[in-house]
Amino acid sequence: MKEKKKDSTAVRGGTASTSRASISGPVPRQDAPGKISGVASYIGDLCFEGMLYARTLRSTVPRARIVSIDIPAMPEGYFVVDARDVPGKNGVHMLTDEQPFFAEERVNYVGEPILLVTGPERGKIDQILRGIRVEYEEIPPVFGEEDSKNPRIPPLFGERNLFCEYEIRRGEVEEAFFDADFVFEGCYHTGAQEHVYLEPQGTAGVFDGERVTVYGSMQCPYYVKTALVGGLGWKEDRIRVVQATTGGAFGGKEEYPSIIAGHVAFAAIKTGRPVLLVFDRAEDVVCTTKRHPSLIRMRTAVDDRGAIRGMEIDIALDGGAYVGLSPVVLQRAMFAATGVYRIPCIRVKGRVFATNSVPTGAFRGFGAPQAFFAVEMHMHSLAEKLRKDPLEFKRSYLLSMGDPTVTDGRMKQEVPLPRMIDRLCKLSGYEKKHRAYKKEKTRRGIGVSLFFHGCAFTGSGEKDKIKAKVLLKKEDDESVSILVSNVEMGQGAQTTLKKIVAETLGCGLERVRYDNPDTDRVPDSGPTVASRTVMIVGGLLAKAAGRLKRRMDEKGEVKIEERYVQPPHIEWDQDTFTGDAYPVYSWGANAVEVEVDPVTFEVRVIGVWGIYDVGTPIDERIVGGQIEGGISQGLGYATIELLQKENGRLRQKNLTDYIIPSSMDFPDPVYELFSSSYEHGPFGAKCAGELPFVGVAPAVAAAVQNAIGRPVRRLPVSPEYLFEAEHDED
Amino acid sequence: MKIKFTVNGRPETVDTDPMRRLLDVLRDDFGFLGVKEGCGEGECGACSVLVNGEIVFSCITPVGTVEGSEILTIEGYRNTERYRAIEAAMEEAGGVQCGFCTPGFVLAAEALLRKNPHPSEDEIREGISGNLCRCTGYSGIVEGIKKAAESEGVW
Amino acid sequence: MVTQNVVYRPGSLEEAYRLRTDTGALPLAGGTDLMVRYRKTAGLVPDPGRPVLFIGHLKDLRRVEERAEEVRIGSCTTYTELLSQKAVPEILKRCITLLASPPIRNRGTVGGNICNSSPAGDTLPVLHALECSLVLGNIRGERTVPIDRFITGPGENALSEDEILKEIVIPKAAFSGWCYRKIGTRRANALAKISFAGLYLIESGEVHDIRIAIGAVAPTVVRSREIEKTIIRIPRTSLQRSTVEMAARYRPLIRPITDQRSTTGYRAGVTLVLIEQFLTAVLQKKG
Repeated sequence: MKEKKKDSTAVRGGTASTSRASISGPVPRQDAPGKISGVASYIGDLCFEGMLYARTLRSTVPRARIVSIDIPAMPEGYFVVDARDVPGKNGVHMLTDEQPFFAEERVNYVGEPILLVTGPERGKIDQILRGIRVEYEEIPPVFGEEDSKNPRIPPLFGERNLFCEYEIRRGEVEEAFFDADFVFEGCYHTGAQEHVYLEPQGTAGVFDGERVTVYGSMQCPYYVKTALVGGLGWKEDRIRVVQATTGGAFGGKEEYPSIIAGHVAFAAIKTGRPVLLVFDRAEDVVCTTKRHPSLIRMRTAVDDRGAIRGMEIDIALDGGAYVGLSPVVLQRAMFAATGVYRIPCIRVKGRVFATNSVPTGAFRGFGAPQAFFAVEMHMHSLAEKLRKDPLEFKRSYLLSMGDPTVTDGRMKQEVPLPRMIDRLCKLSGYEKKHRAYKKEKTRRGIGVSLFFHGCAFTGSGEKDKIKAKVLLKKEDDESVSILVSNVEMGQGAQTTLKKIVAETLGCGLERVRYDNPDTDRVPDSGPTVASRTVMIVGGLLAKAAGRLKRRMDEKGEVKIEERYVQPPHIEWDQDTFTGDAYPVYSWGANAVEVEVDPVTFEVRVIGVWGIYDVGTPIDERIVGGQIEGGISQGLGYATIELLQKENGRLRQKNLTDYIIPSSMDFPDPVYELFSSSYEHGPFGAKCAGELPFVGVAPAVAAAVQNAIGRPVRRLPVSPEYLFEAEHDED
Repeated sequence: MKIKFTVNGRPETVDTDPMRRLLDVLRDDFGFLGVKEGCGEGECGACSVLVNGEIVFSCITPVGTVEGSEILTIEGYRNTERYRAIEAAMEEAGGVQCGFCTPGFVLAAEALLRKNPHPSEDEIREGISGNLCRCTGYSGIVEGIKKAAESEGVW
Repeated sequence: MVTQNVVYRPGSLEEAYRLRTDTGALPLAGGTDLMVRYRKTAGLVPDPGRPVLFIGHLKDLRRVEERAEEVRIGSCTTYTELLSQKAVPEILKRCITLLASPPIRNRGTVGGNICNSSPAGDTLPVLHALECSLVLGNIRGERTVPIDRFITGPGENALSEDEILKEIVIPKAAFSGWCYRKIGTRRANALAKISFAGLYLIESGEVHDIRIAIGAVAPTVVRSREIEKTIIRIPRTSLQRSTVEMAARYRPLIRPITDQRSTTGYRAGVTLVLIEQFLTAVLQKKG
């Protein structure tokens, strides 16, 4: 019975679906018509009466004291906006507020904003910017972790150049290593990654003499509002934030928009005119956040029977010049450090170091992709060292219900991986291919990765920090408005949230309304991040709709409010990182087949397969879109997306240099959904947005390792890396 | 310089710097905001328009070089039967997410299908290879164009 | 007001020559390279800092003519137009199908690729291997220059301030086969890390002609007639060196850089293997 209920559901081009929830069937995507026809209004499409344009003067050096700024006389109607125009605190509130809106005495990375020039004509602004001279007194910069130890380089943050440092222990790890027959070690590097949302960042500010309104391409209207409260030093009721249609985000529009929201607010107040600030691509590449590059060292104690006794893992992330969200990214990496495996005892150390380069930040997966790359490659290589089949070896260590997690929480739900792996093998032909490719020198390979994504905020973040609140309102005209601060950014939130409400109310979708969030209208239901929108916010909306349903006959307006209540099964101590790091996990298994060109070392991906358990899919087409897009972004990360720093400057400056997948690069993935229902998610939904990205790179790397018969330890698996690896060894 | 061309079926004359980007003329002078700027250097295709039926990047096309040409943007195209076939197919196939690249893909599809009404999958992938999408992984877009090509009597 | 570009749109090639002589204006065909090179930030007008001469619309520059001994390609013929011309050699067509993307091919021209003279210009190794010559015209007349003498360095060429590249002349020659490989950053719309063009003619078991030209691995396209001569018309059985040794003779000519797309080591190493593989394939052919 149980088996049947949790059968898999194919989405695109797979086998026929068996049992599925009625909500899972696709409905017309609510935002599609406006987007296809070009009617949807993005930030760059906004126009206000008397609007001024703005552009930013940025630091051209990685680290310096600003000696002087020489600004030529301003023509009439043009203004410079800088730190002196910040009425409140010159610090952008995120976890801390040490990152300034505008640099004052010092600059800490190439691209750091110093001032804004604003005025009616873009050409004139350009001329003015070219006329401004900044005199710098350079300070020896910190480029890498090793520079922290150089006494001639003053630390950038604290005494040791570390934004944060944590350690988690579970069990008698020293004993495990003392008793070990041997210790297996590996070092795993991952590179930076650029989001490349197709729409570059932008904001617009309007000041009416009393209140300021900021429009923007963003994920988190209330993060922006909080940052404006700090920067303006005003009461909340004088600040309004409105999301414009957002052309992709992937985490890149989580924390960054707060900075430029401040810029346009300060400029609008100073000039008394609406101000529009839209980046062009080259500027966006220089100054917005990137995925954290990582170096992860893994040590595994193995006993004389070839069994794992314990693991020591050391994670170092490059945080760039300001702390941003780095501590939380590191935490997610640490909580995923042992992957989907049951390891008797562990020690996980992690730190984020500061460098004089563009800050790293939120990006789909949020630390987990780095950790999964390391642990999956490590387990794969350890299996090979023990002369065991990698997948069989991994299978024998799978977590199951009741097992301890990294943070000594307990797996509270069934772990569906064994059945998912069976299905993956069947779809991809993994076992046969893997054996064949290992023997033959065909330059073909196939690899598997197993992974999870912890749904929503880490630990008690939802309860203690976010405290989501949603409103559902039956209007006078009998329509029902969803009032939440979670945005549509391409992931389909508009459609899935409407579906949850309509299905609960038992009404048609057309009766439910969702407009882009406006903080004057919507309560703070939290940011659109951490794959939390459907599970947490959709869950609250489902509850609200359940209550509203009983009152639908009432005349006139009915307002229902729901606030987040932590499910009773979660236990968490944020000070010691002990307990259940996530309320529930979504699961995934990928197989990737590749062919490595023997001359050019180019990796051609021949096949990609995926099995996912995201709970009940709220809309199979939308979940399918997340899977296909996540896989594509993951394939880019794994193979061609090279983002390098050279003396604190990015080598890749635009989309000519920084390469993302085109329509010709990769085959369509084949995937299926396993739907295990989660009782606290709406209709049983868990999380889906980030999961499909997480496992792609390790599967690609494992496939390449299978193909070339030598270890892969670095992302991206570029032809240059493979070429150099082969020639170093020769 | 005075430059004459047709935009979305209407004859127009602009008096402007001929090196101005066609993109800026279409957005700023005519208000055709469905033409998007994603990279400004001919890499992403968000600014795609048709010039005499061929897909071009308006961000690297000097307006002076389209003298005498017929230009079609999404605003003109969306009133056609072919558009409706593509719109329905793209929606059904899941070819739209954030939408910023979408008008460009729709015009790339039109440019492809008007030359080749029954393209193979490889020809579709080749035809849209100047347009980048970061959301869909292209699966939904390719399938959408396939479905649109199946619309009876449209192409 | 910000300065406005001075732009000419001549009605004929004659007028174009005259304007070029009088003003030294920069010829612009499709603009796919120049609009990127002179771009400013969003919303601003690209500014080359000198007058501009639109030539892409001139019919005299936009045609393909097949003659008995050669094919003449007008410099402003777009890549897309070339693909539909029977007279255009297959190796050039193959190169064009791998070049950039359809929107670029609809506007970009082979003349532009030549005059841009980028070390990574996709068509350049093919045009070198085909031993093209270039017809440069001005108000007084025309001169013809072989392509390897025209391009002198990265972005540098022998076009005089009063000249316009009029035609590309591809001499007809018999080949038994060809090879074009582009090692790019991705599979479409990519810039070359290495581009390789090879042509050969085998008759009665002997290599009668072989031409190897490589792009993106030195300041200009690498081709060595001297090395090619050591293979031509030597009976294959009496070739003194192995293909590896023959390829190694290219080593001093391969001088790539490390940049945002690839590394010196990779470019040099892979190039030598590509040469070696091509030589091996040619020498194994029965003919």
